[in-house]
Amino acid sequence: MDGHQLALPKEIDPGALAARPQRTWKLGQRVAQATLALLLCLGCFLSLFPWGRALTRSALLLPALLIASAPAPLVLTGDPVHFRRLTLSSASGPVFLDIYEPATPPPPIPGGREAIIDVPGAGDNRAVPQLVNLSQSLAREGVVVVNVGTPALFDYRVSARDGEAVVQAFEFLQHWPGVDRQRIGILAFSVGDLMACVGAGDPHIRDRVAFLAFLGGYVDVTSLLGTVGRRAQDVAGQTQPWQPIPTDLYVLARTVSSLLSSSDQQLLRKAFPLAATLAPPLSAQQQAQLSPDAAAYYHLLEGNEPGRVNRNLAALSPPMKALLTQLSPLSVLGQIRARIHLLHDRTDPSIPFTQAQEFAVALTRLHHPYDFAAYSIFSHVQVQSNLDLEQVLGDGSKLLGVLTSMLLVGS
Amino acid sequence: MLILSLLWAVLGLLIGALANAAKLRPATWGRGGRLVMLGLGALVALLGGWLGTWMFGALFATATALWIAVLGVALLSRLITWCNAWLHSWSAVPIKT
Repeated sequence: MDGHQLALPKEIDPGALAARPQRTWKLGQRVAQATLALLLCLGCFLSLFPWGRALTRSALLLPALLIASAPAPLVLTGDPVHFRRLTLSSASGPVFLDIYEPATPPPPIPGGREAIIDVPGAGDNRAVPQLVNLSQSLAREGVVVVNVGTPALFDYRVSARDGEAVVQAFEFLQHWPGVDRQRIGILAFSVGDLMACVGAGDPHIRDRVAFLAFLGGYVDVTSLLGTVGRRAQDVAGQTQPWQPIPTDLYVLARTVSSLLSSSDQQLLRKAFPLAATLAPPLSAQQQAQLSPDAAAYYHLLEGNEPGRVNRNLAALSPPMKALLTQLSPLSVLGQIRARIHLLHDRTDPSIPFTQAQEFAVALTRLHHPYDFAAYSIFSHVQVQSNLDLEQVLGDGSKLLGVLTSMLLVGS
Repeated sequence: MLILSLLWAVLGLLIGALANAAKLRPATWGRGGRLVMLGLGALVALLGGWLGTWMFGALFATATALWIAVLGVALLSRLITWCNAWLHSWSAVPIKT
């Protein structure tokens, strides 16, 4: 018998042949049962539990933020949005409110709606597409959103007195139909964090603020001026070059203008206009016309004396130093009760990343509850376009966590 | 809401198919039982979706439709069989004259 000869068929066990398809069929049955059990648990978690509902909301909101428009699932399942514009009067002047609210009544579970007070940065940002998109997307998810503005903020001036506007908006929202008074949080962008901090620290509302979230905010104007003056920031022990954008210098110049003479104001306006590019520096003759106080401030903003930053900061007049302290959220942090979420882009071109680090250090010192996340998807307070997958996955998961925490309040 | 309702119905059909594969269908339903399970899944998912919309809002209605459909095909099929058997046994009791 050679090797090519076919082997005789072995004896076949009919029972073994029948068992094979039966085993496959059993496996398929088990897989189907497991899938059904998984779907049952998933459905229950996402609808019955507050954490699940918050996760559903944030998972729908995240793509809306990343692509800067509401995705189809959110449009399909979200509420229609009702918009109205109102003006309140407060001790510090008019308060402009843009209200985005769901057009349907709140569902029985969880009952009252969550409300978020948005404090955008300097300038009139009410029509900025990303802010409108955020407000509408939140409203589609059943959150009442109020964008707060004041004449000073619209005029690119930062004022601690504007904290009253946040208090007014908060008290106004407490009586808004459908809103649960224990579920009102504050979200501030850029220099809007001063207003938010002053408002959230107000004794009338501080125990009722559900959360505070700051994107691209600052904590101390004096250290901010130091970074602006040096044109450099220290990140993790390394000095990195940092250039402010013209709007920063314009806001910093305008904010202290009430303490300066009209000729100083005029020269600073000339040196730091609201423009897309930096203006040329003042001539030696123009610089000589500045008062010592204004000259020190000018050199800090111009960044032409990086080695004399501390000396220029020390040369500022006592009223100027007092104003800078007043304009720093650091001065009111101790009065805030709510948890704080800090979000900041590592390469923020407007408010240096070190401000968020200082913010976190100050909160740690005060034993204040907070979380801090560094991102690379923002350009100051706006989400960049053309993000790569690594950025979306890395920063997206961090942002999802913060959004879930914010939306848990109303879930 | 029409699109959402269609979505829930399709979801229910899929869950009905999974229930068939998981052998949740009572043996007494015979061959047509497979179709009954699909229909039951679609119907319960639709009801679950509407209930979810009313209770939690439209945002969470799909998740509600999901778990209600799974519970529906798992429990309702047994309940229907049990009721059927009970009705049969009740009608089979001899009437004393």
